[in-house]
Amino acid sequence: MKNVFGFLISVALGIFIILALANTDAFPAFGDVDLTERISNAYLDINNVEQVGSANLVTAIVVGYRGFDTLGEVTVLFISALGVAFIFGGVKQKRLDLDFKPNFMLRVGSNILFGIILVTSFYIILHGHLTPGGGFPGGAIIASAVLLLYLADDRFRSNVKGFKVLEGVAGSIFVVIGLLGLVFATAFLENFLPAGTVGNLISAGIIPVIYVLIGLKVGSEIAGIVDNFLTEEESA
Amino acid sequence: MEIASYVFLIIGGLFFLLGGLGVLRMPDTFNRIQAGTKATTLGAFSTMIGVGFAAAASGNWDWISKVIIIIIFIVISNPVGSSAIAKATYNSKNIPDNLVQDDLKSRGESK
Repeated sequence: MKNVFGFLISVALGIFIILALANTDAFPAFGDVDLTERISNAYLDINNVEQVGSANLVTAIVVGYRGFDTLGEVTVLFISALGVAFIFGGVKQKRLDLDFKPNFMLRVGSNILFGIILVTSFYIILHGHLTPGGGFPGGAIIASAVLLLYLADDRFRSNVKGFKVLEGVAGSIFVVIGLLGLVFATAFLENFLPAGTVGNLISAGIIPVIYVLIGLKVGSEIAGIVDNFLTEEESA
Repeated sequence: MEIASYVFLIIGGLFFLLGGLGVLRMPDTFNRIQAGTKATTLGAFSTMIGVGFAAAASGNWDWISKVIIIIIFIVISNPVGSSAIAKATYNSKNIPDNLVQDDLKSRGESK
């Protein structure tokens, strides 16, 4: 009964959405859009690319033109991490016991691999304005390194407090940089550093700085979620 | 430099081929694991060196350092991962009948 009801609701909602979107001016028919009038065309303009200075166009849009959206995106991740911590967190936590006992080779090997994975993630974060990648994938790689240690080392427990401090500091500096844009330039999160040459490591103004902050924030948030899932409240 | 890179690439491809053959032809899990691991470790190793040399031949010397990091990653992760798989195989009692010596059992470390 419940399933039938849910099915009917979703079908009705789908018909409603289709009817609401058809024949309106806000959503022209497929193929009728003139792309030269759209704002995305301005993002592809070579003059604008040189003004932003980011070789990776996706990064130029995500952090350069739409930095405020990215701030919201980071906030969404923060809130979801907060929700997980609200449900799974507690005062005294101990890590879950693994079903198997990792042997010596697995433990030591993963500890060595941890460093290499961190190097890779920082490379991806630092080159976010030059190559595909950036703060979000780099942060996810940091968290995956933490997850690897959790699974391969039965005594490992991540420094949760350090992660929380790192996350808060990175998020605050992100907002402070946005406010500095308001001070030195005209708008929130506007680029106030020189753009430099396209393709250099130190270029694109505040984009690499913000991406490093996003990488640290995303990495510590997802590592915190991993920690929340792999710990349980200590039975008193 | 270019010729050296081709030589390394061909060696790497050959070892990948042997590794694939080994996985197909070996009789039981442990033999398949060792064929897959040893051959592909060396295969990836020399393929990466070949790629690094090929990039260096066209002037991109910075590829060498990235290739070295990738090689270190593969050289550590491949044996560690396959040892974990082998241990899991052992723990799941999926042991071939013709096993001659069982060190884990004689040392009392089996699960």
